[in-house]
Amino acid sequence: MKKNIFYILLIGLITLYSCTDDFAELNTNPNQITTESLKQNFNHVGAYFPSMLKAISGNQVMHNLNNDSWVRHYATPTPFVGGINNTTYYPRWIHQYWNRIYGSIMAPGRQVIQIAEEGGYDMFVQWTKLIQILAASRLSAYHGPIIYSNYGTQGDVMYDTEAELYTTWFSELDKVVSTFSSDTSYSGFKDFDASYGGSIPHWIKMANSLRLRLAMRISKVNPTLAKTEGEKAINDPGGLITTNAENLMLSLYGDPFHEVTIGFSWNDTRMSASMESILGGYDDPRAPKYWSPVADASLVADHPTFPYKGIRNGAYLASKALHLPYSNISEDFKSASDRKLVDAAEVHFALAEASLRGWSTPLTAHAHYEEGVKQSFAYWGAGGVDAYLANNSGTPLNYDDVVETGDVNDFVSRISATVAWDETGTNEEKLEKIMTQKWIAAYTNSIEAWVDHRRTGYPKLPYNYQNDSNSDFGVVPGDEFMKRMVFPVGEKTNNASGYSDAVSKLGGPDEINTRLYWDTGGSNF
Amino acid sequence: MKQKTIKHAILSLCILLSGFLFAQNSVNGTITDEEGVPLPGATIVVLETNDGSTTDFDGNYSISAAEGQTLEISFVGYETQQITVGSNAVYSISLVAGNALDEIVVSALGIKRDEKTLTYASQTVKSENLTQARDMNFANSLSGRAAGVEIRKSSSGSGGSTRIVLRGSKSLRGDSQPLIVIDGIPMVNNRNSQPDVWSGNDTGDGLSQINPDDIESITILKGANAAVLYGSQGANGVVMITTKSGEEGVTKVSVNSGVTFESVIKTPELQYDYGALNGDKNSWSTTKGNYDSGYVEDFFQTGANYINSISVSGGNNKTKAYFSYYNSTSDGVIPTFKYQKNNVSFKQSTKLLDDKMTITSNIILADEKTHNRPGAGYYLNPLVALYTFPRERNWNNFNTNYQTFDTATNMYKQNIYANYHFLSNPNWVLNKQPKDDRIKRAISSLNIKYEFSEKLSFQARASYDYSNKTYEQQHAASSNPTNTGDNGRWDYRRLNDELFYTDGILSFNDNLTDDLSLTLVAGASLQHHVYGEGVSVTSGNDGKLFYANEFNFQNLPTNVQVRSALGSKVEKQAVFGNAVIGFKDYLFLDVSGRNDWASTLVGTGNDSYFYPSYGLSAIVSEMISLPQIISFAKIRGSLASVGNEVPFNRINPQNTVTAAGGVNRNTQKPFTDLEPELIETTEFGIDLRFMNNKIGLDLAVYNIKSTNQFLSLSAPSGSGYTTYFVNAGEIVNKGIELSLSGNIIEKGNLSWTSVLNFTKNTNEVVSIHPDLTGLGDGGGDGVQSRFVPGGSIGDLYVRKHKRDTQGRIIIDKNGAPLSTDHELAGNAEPDFSIGWSNNFSLGDKLTAGFIINGKFGGEVYSHTETMLNGFGVSKRSGEARDAGSVSVNAVDENGSAVSSVDPVKWYTALGDRNGIGEPYVYSRTNIRLTQLSIGYNFDVSSLGIPIEGANLSLIGNNLLYSAEAPFDPEVAMSTGRNAQGIDNFTTPSTRTIGMNLRLTF
Repeated sequence: MKKNIFYILLIGLITLYSCTDDFAELNTNPNQITTESLKQNFNHVGAYFPSMLKAISGNQVMHNLNNDSWVRHYATPTPFVGGINNTTYYPRWIHQYWNRIYGSIMAPGRQVIQIAEEGGYDMFVQWTKLIQILAASRLSAYHGPIIYSNYGTQGDVMYDTEAELYTTWFSELDKVVSTFSSDTSYSGFKDFDASYGGSIPHWIKMANSLRLRLAMRISKVNPTLAKTEGEKAINDPGGLITTNAENLMLSLYGDPFHEVTIGFSWNDTRMSASMESILGGYDDPRAPKYWSPVADASLVADHPTFPYKGIRNGAYLASKALHLPYSNISEDFKSASDRKLVDAAEVHFALAEASLRGWSTPLTAHAHYEEGVKQSFAYWGAGGVDAYLANNSGTPLNYDDVVETGDVNDFVSRISATVAWDETGTNEEKLEKIMTQKWIAAYTNSIEAWVDHRRTGYPKLPYNYQNDSNSDFGVVPGDEFMKRMVFPVGEKTNNASGYSDAVSKLGGPDEINTRLYWDTGGSNF
Repeated sequence: MKQKTIKHAILSLCILLSGFLFAQNSVNGTITDEEGVPLPGATIVVLETNDGSTTDFDGNYSISAAEGQTLEISFVGYETQQITVGSNAVYSISLVAGNALDEIVVSALGIKRDEKTLTYASQTVKSENLTQARDMNFANSLSGRAAGVEIRKSSSGSGGSTRIVLRGSKSLRGDSQPLIVIDGIPMVNNRNSQPDVWSGNDTGDGLSQINPDDIESITILKGANAAVLYGSQGANGVVMITTKSGEEGVTKVSVNSGVTFESVIKTPELQYDYGALNGDKNSWSTTKGNYDSGYVEDFFQTGANYINSISVSGGNNKTKAYFSYYNSTSDGVIPTFKYQKNNVSFKQSTKLLDDKMTITSNIILADEKTHNRPGAGYYLNPLVALYTFPRERNWNNFNTNYQTFDTATNMYKQNIYANYHFLSNPNWVLNKQPKDDRIKRAISSLNIKYEFSEKLSFQARASYDYSNKTYEQQHAASSNPTNTGDNGRWDYRRLNDELFYTDGILSFNDNLTDDLSLTLVAGASLQHHVYGEGVSVTSGNDGKLFYANEFNFQNLPTNVQVRSALGSKVEKQAVFGNAVIGFKDYLFLDVSGRNDWASTLVGTGNDSYFYPSYGLSAIVSEMISLPQIISFAKIRGSLASVGNEVPFNRINPQNTVTAAGGVNRNTQKPFTDLEPELIETTEFGIDLRFMNNKIGLDLAVYNIKSTNQFLSLSAPSGSGYTTYFVNAGEIVNKGIELSLSGNIIEKGNLSWTSVLNFTKNTNEVVSIHPDLTGLGDGGGDGVQSRFVPGGSIGDLYVRKHKRDTQGRIIIDKNGAPLSTDHELAGNAEPDFSIGWSNNFSLGDKLTAGFIINGKFGGEVYSHTETMLNGFGVSKRSGEARDAGSVSVNAVDENGSAVSSVDPVKWYTALGDRNGIGEPYVYSRTNIRLTQLSIGYNFDVSSLGIPIEGANLSLIGNNLLYSAEAPFDPEVAMSTGRNAQGIDNFTTPSTRTIGMNLRLTF
């Protein structure tokens, strides 16, 4: 009896312990999706695109408190970190957008390219490339040199100089456009493309428009290459984004427009004083599309017919509560379902500038300027564009921060340009009008406006009232602007020789006052 | 001596092996000690028949024995006596205290071993010491009871978790908490979440679901040596819980009914004289006003905790059974909090097949409900607005009218004076953002033991531990918009934890020669767990529910994902063996080995790994002649290593589906050559007993080296990946444990026993990874926990004053002090700890006990204090405004001396999230009266009622403490690994006072 029991138990145990074959299955998470499973419906090449597109536009500490503030679109009422932060030229949030681009676009994009190359899906390879160029060019607008060509190599990774970046991007765009153009009826993107529904001709227009954007960036530092590439974009049979229907719109996939959360939920963003000054001075019909009127008329006593009030960027903020009654963003954004990333207005303004620079353009500078304004009005659903374009007297307003004592945060507008085109003006005067309108139209997508402002000096925006820049990250003179974001601190430790290489390629100290490649500081023409 | 004891143990286990052989008489009597104190649980065996019995609570026994037969009476810690049965029916015996070391202790896998053969440190805490305090979380009562054990209790009150660390933190990744074992079988002790500086709340742990009245004793196996038989989970030591069983021949009913009252010890020091300007949230006016005060203290209520339990046990010579029911409710110090727990346990064992087979089954059921567990941190924490409410405003109105009807939306809205992410109306949070946790748990186990002979036995066990846990929070619309969407927010998780464990162990012991004994244990085990499997959803602040204030799956918008959750799924298989060779009963060599196969390492080639341990103990007092004062001396030493598997699903993780319907690709670098972590321990100990064992001293020194730490690091941006894993790092813990115990007074009917435990552990992070200068580990803003080579786990980094070469504070051009970046400010672990527990008895009527705990050295940081400065409500900021300035020894940026600074500028700089925290780093040193109890045994025998005993005790917990810190440094915001020693709006420490009535029938 006892022997039997012993054997039964022994056999039972041996059965239990003899199997480790299912370990591999045990160590996988059934709620994750494998590349093998993703092959169904070609999701292994396509399903990542929504996440990748969604990642291009960042959050509060990537845009709203950075470029949106430096280019004076939005301003914050909140004195973050004791009032000393990115908006007052003391970087607190440095690496966030960098990490987003590398973590959510470059790293997975690299895998998508590999999978697509192995499977022979060249259209997907090029599509990924196009999105990576768009994203990386936005990131380079912050930092300058970035890791691009050597991305995904082991050990310390060297950066690309900005000159190299643009050359690389142009040649990559050549490949994108030629590949797309060879198969314009390709329908493989359809399930993964919330922007264009998989339409290849639209993506070609986007690629050409991106080339034009990048060409314009280097128009001062390398006019020859800029003209070549700009005209290539203009003359490509695929065309440019010239109407709003062709805009690259980024789906929010059901999420709220992020500025709605920042403005209404968190009360951390408001209209900028520059928006008040420029839209108010031009009596701009887009104002109610951009901003909510104030409830308290005493805030706008100096311009009662224009019931919008903004906060100066880089303001002194005694407390958050003080500026909350100022204009929030427009309630219209609460029903927004997408965000523009490349649009017709931007393209027309770029063409207008191209014309001034002697590139061959479809229309005159004047015509592209007015078409840019018209496209912007149409995009925002604002009326009265003809009267607006005819306004040759209105100039931006001076600014009074009514809730702060005395002259705190006040400024006198430096802009004397009016809206109406003046063909007799100098190129410089014309450029100021173009860039000022381009700046207005760029609202909600301000990275390129920040590039333009640094590159051309227009619009003539107010300086920071509160400038907390110091030797930690470099000093920005009181009558200048934030010129770049420093490299992420992690690069110094994680990629030490890559970092020192990057600094040498930057051509100046790794500080916020070091000019980027295309920001020559020289004259515009 | 040892053989005899083992024999007795076996005999005790096999009580009544044989039937009645010849004419029996009933013999009875009382077994007492030398002082006449009854000894319950003493064993009486009739040697001729192997018939046995044990004494009851009053030391009485009754057994059948024939004239001329021999009774052997034994009791742990006393000399065994034999008497021959004569014609009398009554034999009352007083036993003489004997060699206290002939104790049977429960070692790894529940195997009972003679303590003197142990080559490593273990310490046992008896149930009466654990439960007399009636602490709602009994594990807190371990504090000070054993050397080498660091206990920190959660600030979340009843049902909260407990941080237990034995011999220091050993891992940069795990939380270094020991394995919890019930009756030899591992149990799940998961902490699902812990608060951090930002937000969150404790969700309890597995221990809180046990009925403390079921516990017979807790034995703590401190080192990895002890744990080698449990494998990696035991690498941080093992807490072995032995539960009560029925006893033969006696039916015992025990009823406990207790109530304790819980109150806040102290609240932060605040000013109530200066309000806010312009309706601001910060009280920075410099004009004094006459404002409400006292409402902070009034907000906290006196909580009542009720514990009622009943147990029934009994048995005959074949079957023993134990049944218990336990119920506790608690309403804590924060209004609306409610904790309810019900436990049912049933344990029974039956002997079959001529008593050679024993089948034991045990079922533990628990149902734990918690409403509004207190949290910590900035977000959705009622204490933030409570402490910082602008002083010029009307608190009563704000507090009472926490909601106002909004005609624009036709619903109630939160009444809050500032739209600020940290601020919510306290009553709104408590009433309109309710949190409900529910844990239903069943632990069932079966143990079959078969004794082939006295020398050989086999045991097979299986256990299934299942819990279903639900966590829900319903945030009404207009809750703080930083966290909540327009129509409210729903957080819901329903998760299951399952652990299946089985093992088979063959035990053999024999005397090879007269001098040589051998004990062999060989076995195999399998455990399979699935943790955190279920469903989880949070609508966050971006998910706009279709309809306001409706919380169910149907009401979720498209951008909210309902997630299939899975925490981990791991299987481990092992074979293990242990041999103890004894020479002349005074020298013991202990060798163990274990080989693990872990599913988490599959594909690395390292999924099978072996680790050994070796130990030696010598009973010096039996080898050589020692001075008479030394009644016993043992030295021991051991070496052990334990491998630790890596977490689930790290080798080859896959992609995840996003709310947008896309896929997030995995961007972790594949790591196919992962190795198990390794913990190596060297330990030496001395156990000395003096003056006929009246005084005992146990000293242990150890060195624990943890290497091959499994770390997830951010991949360099250009690498093509976002994270990668490495085996790196080395952590060393060195320490001394000293336990001094003594019967200080034993005179007449007065006795005083005392145990003093001393613990000193030093932890060093020797290295992390060549690429890393440091690794963050929790905290945020003004304070961080960081691992830095050369530092220690628990290092706190805060912003300090920028100073010149003479140490003077530097003031900026605006008149505010400048701050450094985060700098090392201290370490949260104490330099050493002392626990001193005492028990007194006067006759058989009066008992008393107290325990004093002291922690010496170490630092803690109050982020609450910097926040209170920032809001302009700290008492010091008021006093500074009274004085008109803050006196400082400072210089401006040009080097000119500055002697006074504007209070507002000063405390603004020393305030808020990123303020200078240096002044708010405090010593952890504290001494406290952890527990005081006085009990009285009523003489009920004469009352003629069917009650055998009645004991009423008065109990107090955490009665007094002295500490420099403004919060209780022993109360943890998080009982996990990170953010130790940091306080950020945690619930203040409480004391409890109450009474308990115990009736036995």
